[in-house]
Amino acid sequence: MATLTMKNVTKKFGRKVIAVNNLTLEVQDREFLVLLGPSGCGKTTAMRMVAGLEEVTEGAILIDDVEVTYLPPRKRNVSMIFQSYAVWPHMTVYENIAYALKLKRMDKQTVEKIVKEVAELTSISELLERYSSQLSGGQCQRVAVARAIAVQPKIFLMDEPLSNLDAKLRTSMRTELKAIHTKTNATTVFVTHDQSEAMSLADRIIIMRDGQIMQTGTPQDVYDNSTSIFVADFIGTPPTNFISADIKNINREIHLVNPHFDLQLVPEKASVLKNYNKSHLIIGIRPENITLVDAPNALLSAECLVAEPQGSHQIIAIELDDKIIKIVAPALPKIFAGETTHMAFKQENLCFFDPETTLNIGN
Amino acid sequence: MAVASSKNIRRSWGRIIPYLLILPVILYYAAFWLRPVITAVIGSFTNASGHFTLQNFAMVINDENFIPAVRNTAVIVFFSVTLEFLGALFLALLINRKFAGSGFFLFFAMIPMALPAAAAGAMWLTGLTAHGWINSLLYYLGILAEGEKVYWLAGSELSLLALVIFIDAWQVIPSVMIILLAGLQNIPKETQEAGYVFGGNYLTVLRKITLPLLSPTIQTAMILRLISAIQIWLIIVLLLGYSRMPVLLERVVYYQKEVKGLDISYQMATTYTIIVAAIVSLAALVYLQISGAFKRGKKEVI
Amino acid sequence: MKKKRWININKAAKMTSFYIFVTGIMIAMLIPIFFIVSLSFLSTREAYRFPLPLLPALTTKFELTHGERGYLISVYDRVENEYMSVLDTQDLEKISQYTRYQLGTPMTIEEIEQEIVKLETQEIVYFTHRRNLLFNYETFFRVAGTGQAIPALIRSLQICALTIVISLSIGGMAGYAFARYSFKGHDTLKFGVLFVRMFPGVAIALPMVIILANYGFFDKPIGLSLVYSIGSIALTVWITASIFMGIPVSLEEAAQVFGSTKTHAFLRITLPLAFPGLAAAAMFTFLGAWNETILAIILTQFNPTFSVVVFQTVLGSVGQVNLAAAGGMVMALPAVVFTFFIRRYINQMWGGVTV
Repeated sequence: MATLTMKNVTKKFGRKVIAVNNLTLEVQDREFLVLLGPSGCGKTTAMRMVAGLEEVTEGAILIDDVEVTYLPPRKRNVSMIFQSYAVWPHMTVYENIAYALKLKRMDKQTVEKIVKEVAELTSISELLERYSSQLSGGQCQRVAVARAIAVQPKIFLMDEPLSNLDAKLRTSMRTELKAIHTKTNATTVFVTHDQSEAMSLADRIIIMRDGQIMQTGTPQDVYDNSTSIFVADFIGTPPTNFISADIKNINREIHLVNPHFDLQLVPEKASVLKNYNKSHLIIGIRPENITLVDAPNALLSAECLVAEPQGSHQIIAIELDDKIIKIVAPALPKIFAGETTHMAFKQENLCFFDPETTLNIGN
Repeated sequence: MAVASSKNIRRSWGRIIPYLLILPVILYYAAFWLRPVITAVIGSFTNASGHFTLQNFAMVINDENFIPAVRNTAVIVFFSVTLEFLGALFLALLINRKFAGSGFFLFFAMIPMALPAAAAGAMWLTGLTAHGWINSLLYYLGILAEGEKVYWLAGSELSLLALVIFIDAWQVIPSVMIILLAGLQNIPKETQEAGYVFGGNYLTVLRKITLPLLSPTIQTAMILRLISAIQIWLIIVLLLGYSRMPVLLERVVYYQKEVKGLDISYQMATTYTIIVAAIVSLAALVYLQISGAFKRGKKEVI
Repeated sequence: MKKKRWININKAAKMTSFYIFVTGIMIAMLIPIFFIVSLSFLSTREAYRFPLPLLPALTTKFELTHGERGYLISVYDRVENEYMSVLDTQDLEKISQYTRYQLGTPMTIEEIEQEIVKLETQEIVYFTHRRNLLFNYETFFRVAGTGQAIPALIRSLQICALTIVISLSIGGMAGYAFARYSFKGHDTLKFGVLFVRMFPGVAIALPMVIILANYGFFDKPIGLSLVYSIGSIALTVWITASIFMGIPVSLEEAAQVFGSTKTHAFLRITLPLAFPGLAAAAMFTFLGAWNETILAIILTQFNPTFSVVVFQTVLGSVGQVNLAAAGGMVMALPAVVFTFFIRRYINQMWGGVTV
């Protein structure tokens, strides 16, 4: 297993389209790194450059501190799981897995041994003589995984491998992939646009947008301390609620004031705004940090627009300033549409964002 | 530095590859198509002593068979293309219903298309003679009485034209049908079903939904058909011999092969060729213009 | 209940009439073919009878008696339903020739003598003899094109093979380029194909005669292949482009990640997957080259292709209609067979084409 370094990597298509902009990142040995971002953010392009399938316009890529930037894919000692699985339809599952091994001139017995081991690991041992047309989507995906593991690469690359699976299969494969990672101790780079997938799989997440890194950190980091509105909005389901407020100094206490409420900040929170000079900001508060309380203790009250029961909890939607605010509340008592709900904010998890830079003020 | 130069080599190699792959085709066409074409074009403007002249065109236009050839060609093109379109559309719609055995039917419908021209010629020739099988068939069906015969090949010019159009249609309809069929199958069934759900009957859906969606395919088929139809000649020669019913391309072959020895043969053949090419190109351009292909942007053209 | 049965009967009636309709169309379209098939098996004598017998006879029925000049041979005519005299002669050789060439019923002199012997005890001798159904075909190959039929056939096959090699290699490369790379001139291809078709192949034939003669390729298979390839390369590029586009790039990329060079990936992954489509392209090319008549007429002189031979036989077929039919059938057979194999691809080829 190995480390991966990308130094100032840029990828331009033609002269105008910049897919990846001066990207610098490092993946530690045995780390499970997730590149997360919306479509078109450059995550797949970045991965393809690591694989050697895209030319690097500028910058360098190093695997285990050896520069591989201009090497063809087969010389980089990486393996890849494609979004479409790319299982070769004219070869059996066995031949698919054995392909790379045979090209390495391994003898027949070793090849057979490795293929069988890997098939066992991915639970496809009975499928070895089948062709991809005879397999389900989930089975094809496992073949792709098996094929990738068999070569024992320095780096595993996974390009949205779960996106084409149905919802239930997706979550179960997630667990399996994580288990395989633990077992094989492989350095892995995983690309996805699904933030819950990223959250559950990653040792570290790198969030990308328009070819650039927005934030790097552990899932919890990224969740609790989102450095920008973009990240706070992207991570979490339902996503962060954003509420504009003015900063007012009332009786030497900092208040965040909005037509609907007046929130007096506790000192720890107020000190975050110490060096912030503007008079407006945007409050970021996650749905689970808005609590339902009795009327006398409420910070604000509003009519429930929609209530979505989810079994273990319910999601309440209210309208504030023409925006929908969502609250995650316990399953009971059941709230109904039209009911007036009373809410309070848990201040420890509040974030403040500068409306112009969209960056987190606390950082 | 070793790394930098290998990068440059890889880069330039990678960029050249597509052009390398295309190169043979371009060279081939330059040598074996462009050159003869240019020779032909020049030839049409050159007289026997090698000087520039418009005499050739004058000769052709004044040729007694020129006007008939143009007229015949025009008539045949107009009617056969129309007939073929309607027939092919009908068959395509029929086959598209995917009844049991439609695959079978499709193959049999394709057979006329598979026949080589000479074989088709043999087939129709043997049928159209006085004692041919067409008359025999009509006799068996009771349409012709004992001893009665229809002299198909001795008919008026109009009836001969009709015959040629019919035979050409018989042979060509399968190929048009296939193009239309492919286009039909590309129309999602649901689009048509929606038409029925919202109150249409078969004809309405056909007119308002299917045909408009099919129109790009129709255009492709029609322009290819147009180009080919203008170049019809072989079946006519096989059935009627040269000069009996002149058409444009038949004149080319006539001067090229039949009357080779004459002084003016080469010029006539070449000039007729250029005229045919010009007419075809013009017709194609006009057609593309009318059908709005250029408006829709280059991307969608073929 | 009654309504349901009525609906079912109605449905059944509709289905039946539909199928009758469809069958009717099919029959109507294939009638000409039926006749030429039948004609290719008829004897020369029967081919000129009116009306034409619908099916070829498997045997010929003879009536033998003494005639004025020798032996009177009569043949059972299926149209008139009676015996009609055809030959009155002493010459057994002549009889043998007649039965062979006019009736497609080869009889040796010994066989004829055997029947004649019976005349000693009988007034009239009736006998039947099996017909050689393939007689027309055999004659065609012997006689057509002044005996050139078989060499012409071989030549045609050579030309087809050469044309396939040239078109697939040159066209296939270009097709791959168009499928996998985007570069300037992409749309020009499509225009190009259309444009090449606009210029009648006949037109370039005459200049080509001179060009080929200069290279020494005139009247030789290679010359014809070069000219045929002009049209088929365009078609091949079109077909192979769409074939390669149908093979996901990710399959090639996966091969590259797992140890292949670009070339190796092409050979191991792309080519095998493209094979059926390439085979179809090859068959298209074959058909085009096989059927091509006009260019062959112009570009050959003493070494005609098979299509030329058939063409000439048809043109000169005044006395031998059934022979022309046989020739036409021979020519049509590979065409029909191949069309059967590639019918799916013919359909696929046009999917996604718009003007």
